[in-house]
Amino acid sequence: MVNSMLETGIPRLDEYLSGGIPEGKTLIYLNHPGVEGDVFGMQTLYHCLTTGNNCIYIASSLHPKMLIDQFSEFGWAMDKYKDRLNVIDAYSSLVGDISSEKYIVPDPEDINSITEVIDQVIKDVPKGSVFVFSSLSTIMDLCGEENTINAVRSWNKSAKTNKIVNVYNFTAWPYTESTLAQIKTDLFNCVINVGGIAQQVIYGQYFGVAKADWLKLQEKSMLFRVLRPGGIKIYLPKILVTGPFNAGKSTFVHSLSTRAVSVDRKGTTIALDHGHIDYKGFSADIFGTPGQDRFDPIIKMISGEAMGVFLVVDSTNPENFNRAQQMLEITTGYGLPYVIIANKQDMPDAISIDDIRTRLNLPEEIPVVSTVATEKRGVFEAFEMLVERITGGI
Amino acid sequence: MESSSNLLEKVLTDLKKVGGIEAAAIASRDGILLKSIMPMEQYAETFAAMSATMLGAAETAVTELDKGIPDRVIVESEHGKLITIGAGPKALLVVLTTQNAGLGLILLEVEKASKQVKEIL
Repeated sequence: MVNSMLETGIPRLDEYLSGGIPEGKTLIYLNHPGVEGDVFGMQTLYHCLTTGNNCIYIASSLHPKMLIDQFSEFGWAMDKYKDRLNVIDAYSSLVGDISSEKYIVPDPEDINSITEVIDQVIKDVPKGSVFVFSSLSTIMDLCGEENTINAVRSWNKSAKTNKIVNVYNFTAWPYTESTLAQIKTDLFNCVINVGGIAQQVIYGQYFGVAKADWLKLQEKSMLFRVLRPGGIKIYLPKILVTGPFNAGKSTFVHSLSTRAVSVDRKGTTIALDHGHIDYKGFSADIFGTPGQDRFDPIIKMISGEAMGVFLVVDSTNPENFNRAQQMLEITTGYGLPYVIIANKQDMPDAISIDDIRTRLNLPEEIPVVSTVATEKRGVFEAFEMLVERITGGI
Repeated sequence: MESSSNLLEKVLTDLKKVGGIEAAAIASRDGILLKSIMPMEQYAETFAAMSATMLGAAETAVTELDKGIPDRVIVESEHGKLITIGAGPKALLVVLTTQNAGLGLILLEVEKASKQVKEIL
């Protein structure tokens, strides 16, 4: 039986989870210290509110007012959803502060006190509600590791019986081995790793599905960035745009980008075009290369660490296709995903997409996208296709 | 891993304290921004990409002429100077100075910082 899936609202993650989190299941964002992991739980909470779900936010790390204020940083207006959002205040009593929330944990240092309130809330809210824990690690710090783990077990069990989804933010501070091992393996239905990397020299943050017991797992991690406003976006630090002289590479970069600059003389790129694009949950930097072969050293230099390539060809100029193939070899030597941009398709003497495919001798799975870069026609379709090939949709 | 990111940030913060330095960034040799301290953060990526191209082009040009590898590229303009220097095989360091900054101390500090970056990476 297919239950309604609860979307996490994190770009690409729902695809990796085949739609989202099934009812009654639990998910933990396992954040390594130092990365911006708390945003994951927040983004999921906000997304669930926008998709019409009832949500409960368990505020344990800060005063609920301040926690809710944090959402506005990302441009997420929580006021609109007041009637579907309940907050459990597991903080104020700790510092003797006044709380205006309906649900207050009298003693946040006692795990049973938290459980009692949660049980009460479960009775009050409809089935299919979403519980988001702002920070499981702070609960653990206050109530002890073993107590918390046992409590989480019971919370997850009642989630299952009441068809509720539990989502936890957790920062993996140096807790005991056995605590961390239980969290990673059997405590939750789904574990999302959120970490930092120093692969090559990119200092980035990534997330990846480490466990999801309702599907066959695909090993896949994605770089991300946190934008304010905007929240989590998949980050592609380098996408290359290459192709022969006068194919329209710079025009392509500019028409795709939110903002872009070029180093050119008399309309010809001599160093590079650089553009940045924010589009549908993706944030990418676009590097356009020069086309003439005397600039090949520069092309080699800037093509390092690219994640994907657009090869732009002039559809009216098949004589240049040899050069195009050569440039593809220079830039995709390591088997990078690429998409062919058949530009200038509005010209009367443009040859057909099929013709281009044959002449470039392309494998069948490589997309050839018809574009008119000067009018922004086809450029975003092309971007989506390349992103799809890079991030490996399901 | 996270700590080396912090270390890079520290190198830049220290560098920024030197009189006359307005902005500083660390980028990979192929133009990806690693860390920056800039008044206009949104341009940092472009700044990194262009500086990497500049240094790379300079290195290609000079090496082709058998003059060895350039120590640094300095761009002098009306409102300030731009200094790009290699920091090990993977990275480079770029510094933007104010209009009247004297280069002596700045070059010394930049050199020092580039060595630190090289060690961190």
